[in-house]
Amino acid sequence: MSVSGQSLEQLVRRAGYFDWGSAVPLEDIRGEVAIAGIGETPYSGPSGRNARDLCLEAVAAAIADAGLQPADIDGLMVSKGIADQITPEDFHAHFGTSQPIWFSREGGGMIWAATSAHAAAQALRRGEARHIVNVFAVDWASRRADGRGTPGDWHASEVMKAHFELPFGWYPQPVYFATFARRYMHEFGLTERQLAALPVAFRRHANRHPGAVMREKSLSVEDYLDRAPLADPLRMEDCCLISDGGAAYVYTSVERARDLRQRPVIVEGVGRGIVDGAPYISQQKQITATPQTFAAPWAFAMADANPGELDVIAVYDCFSITALMQIEDMGLCSKGEGGHFIQDGRLDFDRPRSRGGIPCNTHGGLLSHAYVLGIAHVVELVKQLRGEAVNQVENAELAAYAGFTADEGSTLVLRRG
Amino acid sequence: MVQPDTNDPVTGPFWLAASEQRLVMSWCERCDCAVWYPKPACPECGGLLHWKTLSGDATLLSWTVVSKTMNPSFNGSYIPALVVPRDAPGTRLVTQLVDCEPAELVCDMPLALRFGMLQPREGDPYMAPLFTPFRLRVGP
Repeated sequence: MSVSGQSLEQLVRRAGYFDWGSAVPLEDIRGEVAIAGIGETPYSGPSGRNARDLCLEAVAAAIADAGLQPADIDGLMVSKGIADQITPEDFHAHFGTSQPIWFSREGGGMIWAATSAHAAAQALRRGEARHIVNVFAVDWASRRADGRGTPGDWHASEVMKAHFELPFGWYPQPVYFATFARRYMHEFGLTERQLAALPVAFRRHANRHPGAVMREKSLSVEDYLDRAPLADPLRMEDCCLISDGGAAYVYTSVERARDLRQRPVIVEGVGRGIVDGAPYISQQKQITATPQTFAAPWAFAMADANPGELDVIAVYDCFSITALMQIEDMGLCSKGEGGHFIQDGRLDFDRPRSRGGIPCNTHGGLLSHAYVLGIAHVVELVKQLRGEAVNQVENAELAAYAGFTADEGSTLVLRRG
Repeated sequence: MVQPDTNDPVTGPFWLAASEQRLVMSWCERCDCAVWYPKPACPECGGLLHWKTLSGDATLLSWTVVSKTMNPSFNGSYIPALVVPRDAPGTRLVTQLVDCEPAELVCDMPLALRFGMLQPREGDPYMAPLFTPFRLRVGP
């Protein structure tokens, strides 16, 4: 039972209605579930390892971090859309265990890095599992290096995209978001110099972060402006990396988490939003906003918190422009003011809320840490709330993750336990 | 592979019409509105859909200049765009802009339909509905 016990009707009323998309009605689970352990693999370019291996390494690390044994794990959540994730059979084969494992493919990264907390809370409520591990890993750097595919390939498998978008060259993903960025610049006067604030802030965080792929490469605003656009107005620095790597975390009840090794990080709110006409974002009514618009109000209503109380955020930054729009859509500033809002180091880890900052992607994000589709974003927030991050934010108590798949968005509000 | 498929039962009619230099959209006669992208039936009334020829007048929602390194499907850079057809303002067409310089493009500018052949790097050329900035004809 959630600590505040709000009904769906209350959440609907507080979260509001929209004319171009909607929130998924998620029941109140505030204060029911905690993240009790985190684990990561190395993050890299082509490593020659496959995603299944990376998943198992991350799971082992998360279980150990929680102070649990593999035999304690009775729930497993993975992504349904990404190749070579793991099954309970893989888990047992690797760890030599045999317990029954509740299994869900509504886990992993992107929006599911957040919404998995909701599904886990429900499984805990029903008594179907006690310790659930959510895992996600990709080997796209190795796949690309071997000519075995890229993240853009799925477009060709969708009939409307294949027949009405590919023939005009409106793909892969950077082309979508360059189109959206151009419109955003027209409507709100965003400049390329303003947009540079995101990649530059995230790179600064990555330069200080031992696990970050771009640790050794600095980036200034002038460096950024000197680069030629790939799909104007976006440059390579506005686009995520392609990486190998993965991470995992262990969900359990808040009560149980208090008995385990680590300080618990408590799930306060979860939201999920979807645009009308999904999955075709060419038809999205507002191309200068994201489905974070629908997810965030729901998550903050559940958490009984407001965005102004956040100490640190991790925003799905497949592109600089998608991070900028989600910062607005999460409610941290008004629509259209984002370009101005992110200036003057406001996203830096060492500009805390007490000095008007909102530290963002303190590990470097998808742009500069690794492209592991948001799972490392949540892991970074857990480190922040435990007080053990490399780029530690002063007095970090309340955090939020913004997840994204383009047509769907999610929000996860976390509190230091 | 970016080649359109004129034999596809759902999407082929768009490309067959394009080969005859007509721009068509899937349309519900009863609701008198576009259903885009096409569906088996009208999502509002369940009625049958047909293909309606549009005027070709449109405005520019947005565009990007794609470098050859970003997407090597075509030989060289190109300008994909989202445009809003005047006859179906609730929809967007994905297209390309031609016969223009990026510097002259502005969001919401009026566009004129101009059919042209697209030549992918691999595969055969195909006739496609493209757009160009609307220009008043100044003639003798």
